[in-house]
Amino acid sequence: MRVKAAILATLMLVSAACSAAAPAPQQSTEADITLSGAPVGITLWHALSGPQQVALDAMVKKFNETNGKGITVSALNQGNYTQLYQKTLGAIQAGALPELAHAYESFVADYMKADVVVDLGAYKDSVKNGLAKASQDDIYKGYYDTNTFPQYGNKLLSWPFTKSLAVMYVNNDVLKEIGKPIPKTWDEFEATALAATKKDSSGKVTRYGFAFNTDASYFNAQVYARGGTLMAADNKTVAWNGKEGLAVLQMYDRMNKNGSGYSPKGFDFQNDLAAGKLAFFLSSTSTLPFIRDLADKAPFSWSIANLPQATTDATKQKTVQFGANVAVFKSTPEKQLASWLFIRWMSDTDQSAQFASTSYYMPVRKTAADSQTLKDYWAKVPQGKQGFDLIQYSSPEPNVRGQQDIRDVIFNMITEVITGKSTPDTAIATAATKSNQILKDAQ
Amino acid sequence: MAAEVIPANVRASSRRRLPVEAIQAWLFLLPAVLILGVFQIFPAIAAFYMSLFKWDVVQGAFRGVGNYTDWLYDNSIRSPDFWRSLSTTFTYVIFTVPLEIAVALVIAYLLFQKMRGRGIYRTVYYLPYVTSFVAAAAVFFWVFHPQYGLINDLLGVVGIGPQRWLDEPDGIFELAASAFGVILPSWLAGPSLALVVISLVTIWHYLGYQIVIFLAGLSNISQEYYEAARLDGANERQIFTRITLPLLSPTTFFVFTVASIGVLRSFDSVYVLTNGFGGPLDTTRTVTLLVFKTAFQQAQFGLGAALAFILTLIILLFTLIQFRVLGPRVNFGE
Amino acid sequence: MSERAVTIPRGFPGLAPRPRVRTIAKHAVLILVAGVVAYPFYFMVTSSFKDILEATRTPPTIFPSELHPENYTDAWSRAPWGRYFVNTIFVSVSVTILELATACLAAYAFARMRFRGKNLLFTIFLATLMIPGEATLIPRYVLMSPSRVACAGLPCLGWFDSYQVQIVPFIASAFSIFLMRQFFLSIPSELSDAARMDGAGHLRFLWSIVLPLSVPALITAGLITFLGSWNAFQWPLIVTSKPDFRPVQVGLSAFRQEAGSSYHLLMAASTFVVAPIVLLFLVAQRYLVQGIARTGIRG
Repeated sequence: MRVKAAILATLMLVSAACSAAAPAPQQSTEADITLSGAPVGITLWHALSGPQQVALDAMVKKFNETNGKGITVSALNQGNYTQLYQKTLGAIQAGALPELAHAYESFVADYMKADVVVDLGAYKDSVKNGLAKASQDDIYKGYYDTNTFPQYGNKLLSWPFTKSLAVMYVNNDVLKEIGKPIPKTWDEFEATALAATKKDSSGKVTRYGFAFNTDASYFNAQVYARGGTLMAADNKTVAWNGKEGLAVLQMYDRMNKNGSGYSPKGFDFQNDLAAGKLAFFLSSTSTLPFIRDLADKAPFSWSIANLPQATTDATKQKTVQFGANVAVFKSTPEKQLASWLFIRWMSDTDQSAQFASTSYYMPVRKTAADSQTLKDYWAKVPQGKQGFDLIQYSSPEPNVRGQQDIRDVIFNMITEVITGKSTPDTAIATAATKSNQILKDAQ
Repeated sequence: MAAEVIPANVRASSRRRLPVEAIQAWLFLLPAVLILGVFQIFPAIAAFYMSLFKWDVVQGAFRGVGNYTDWLYDNSIRSPDFWRSLSTTFTYVIFTVPLEIAVALVIAYLLFQKMRGRGIYRTVYYLPYVTSFVAAAAVFFWVFHPQYGLINDLLGVVGIGPQRWLDEPDGIFELAASAFGVILPSWLAGPSLALVVISLVTIWHYLGYQIVIFLAGLSNISQEYYEAARLDGANERQIFTRITLPLLSPTTFFVFTVASIGVLRSFDSVYVLTNGFGGPLDTTRTVTLLVFKTAFQQAQFGLGAALAFILTLIILLFTLIQFRVLGPRVNFGE
Repeated sequence: MSERAVTIPRGFPGLAPRPRVRTIAKHAVLILVAGVVAYPFYFMVTSSFKDILEATRTPPTIFPSELHPENYTDAWSRAPWGRYFVNTIFVSVSVTILELATACLAAYAFARMRFRGKNLLFTIFLATLMIPGEATLIPRYVLMSPSRVACAGLPCLGWFDSYQVQIVPFIASAFSIFLMRQFFLSIPSELSDAARMDGAGHLRFLWSIVLPLSVPALITAGLITFLGSWNAFQWPLIVTSKPDFRPVQVGLSAFRQEAGSSYHLLMAASTFVVAPIVLLFLVAQRYLVQGIARTGIRG
């Protein structure tokens, strides 16, 4: 009796395995279904707060009223990104996932270990529910790259949502006072930052040139901008420990020693820039509303510029693209399709332009720039356009497994240099060894 | 006395009523047993189960004690992290508990004497304890701010240069020695300045609570001892060192134990003051923070649970040792 | 009573002026420590009345050059604080009342009744105090989920986004049981024996004699529980998804994110989140010492 049952079970398992392994021409059927119009409720967990949450809520409201397919989205804030990630991990254990979640690439890579993320490729290419070729090409290529996961068979596992990029914020008044233009190369940058630095009679610095950023993304952005790469071609070792990465650390070290750079606490650099105590900082384009707020209260002139670059050749300039995406979790075919229809709608030209102008994130499509909505917004906030014009230079950071730990290693490496614990050479060599070990363990 | 007669009676009657009383007792205990069982003990058992598996987002292969040995000696990345965080945790205890007890004891002793404004003082000292670390952290960022902080301004007045406080990974002895041009070997560097700041904030937070416990302990000391001492012509210092301190030793021991356990398993203070990173340069990463990082930033639930149980064992062991070593020296009065 | 402890024997002329010097010295110590302890609060409240520029000025101004009470209305209007407060108050009050009830019953059983396995059970209860909460977070979370699969066949509670998920797990605490047990032990056993002779049942004895004697301990345990509930952050954050059920601490943390560098607003919000609990302690604090004193922390 028991033997029979065991054989039966084995047979079932084998046949199941076979059918799974067989090529699946009907793979796209789930993406091609039609919604009956019966009510479908889907939930989106996100980490947006303040004005950006308000902007998203307005979009969701509009979608719920106009989709005509019975779809109702509820968008719920789940704290900051770390808390959202933590909660989603719990929800995976509990089998209580929402239909959609706001996520960074590294989060998606972890969620995939539980195989709970929907491959969006089939939806994107679906004849019935997908995007036409021209429409697909209108979305920036970098946005596809970052959501395509090499260690999961190059599947498209998330979709651009709240995108931004690393840029340089400049206090124009300070530059005007010292009579210098916005620097284009790193040498100019360092000289300008030093010229902007002011000390009082006691030697205490009252105005800094540059605010150090210990976050790995800005180190990565500088490696890109200096012409370097972050990962070896085979994704097995890091590549930021070359001469470009070393140059970043050496610059930090020099600026730390001559007093032109400092380590800000929290969001201080924003207030410092606005108060004329700082000439430059690197940040995401999504910092824009905060600076704008400060400038409204106590006017000063500021702009957003590309990071200084190694080359004047525009096709070779580079910075880091970031901002989070949205992933769809496996549920029912109807809910999955409803989720796709929502994110597809969000990335249409009109919505993309609308959301960009209210949330200060970057539009996901090139044609959004032609919309009147964005033109009106840029007329009011020229810095928004300055950021938009730089999207073309932005490339994603690696999304390999272990990247999250490598970010910690980079963070510590920079801290070691600016606290004088290590020389740039030692720090970068140690950090690279450690990172390669992490990559090896994560294989 | 009458009291001597009744117990015999009661003993006889309670022996007779034992089964009824036992059933009643369990009924009294039922709500607590149920709640603690379902929401504390069952999850602990489940977590122990998780600790025996590779659990990388989802349940993986059975590893037995593999997760435990990884932390203790087996894994070239995990085990140095563990030993370092353990030493950070105990350093945190050493730089927090004795000072906290000393200050609380002195303040409680002063407050115990009738004086003007007692209530106001007591209230002020108690304020931090009722404030969540979330709210307190926002303020302490400013107080210890490297550029704008009040502490640096005050130090500036005495001629000491600005410090980086919560951003300072260098050891405090190292910093002090370097001010005199002495370079200390790394094993003498001491805890990072950041960890010391966290200790100070922890003391700030719990001081009022410990004062109240000491006040309670002081009120338990019979006045007769003081009167006898005074008749013998003892002065105030003698009374404090020969009467108050020894008779207060059970309270001190209690506070010491509770405060040590509190610091060993504390999470909020370090988490909030370092924005969850345990930085700078991991110098404030305590074991609980490492548990959190492993489970919720690396999604290694099995390893995280194993580490949490290692910590629980250490806390148990630490408590037992305290009772063994210090317990017999405590003057329990009678 | 303790006044005498500081009285120097009279008729010792050389020491006559010392009491005053000593009193001044004592106050000096007390004031110094109080100043250090209270400074962050002073900073919080004064900053909450400054405008953004003054709030970030260095060195900080001692007192706002111009009062900006509108920071409070501004901060208040930026989040559903009313809802958050209602939630927190409801949860904290429920937890406190129910927890005291379970603690009194259990503590009475431990202190005054005989049954087998008493010491073992008490030890297990105390051991729950030593396990760091981060260890059990995932299983506790799973227990609340609506899915049956995840709980390995055991019934999951399906309590996400509710009040009970923030209340029920906390209505028994080993700490309160311990505290109440210690207090009950300090009540002379003659009382219980006498009452028992009268034929009073345990429940009646607990209700009509023990509890009225235990008011300071009840207030102490109640305050500590209430405080824990009021300041709870991590658990409510992960088990609630909608503002409808979220408490003030989660609101404050979200506001911290939202306010970004608007420190003056953050300080205003921190002030009104901290204020109610501070007021509560002001009113109730005189019971605390009594409560703790009688719980016999003699080891």
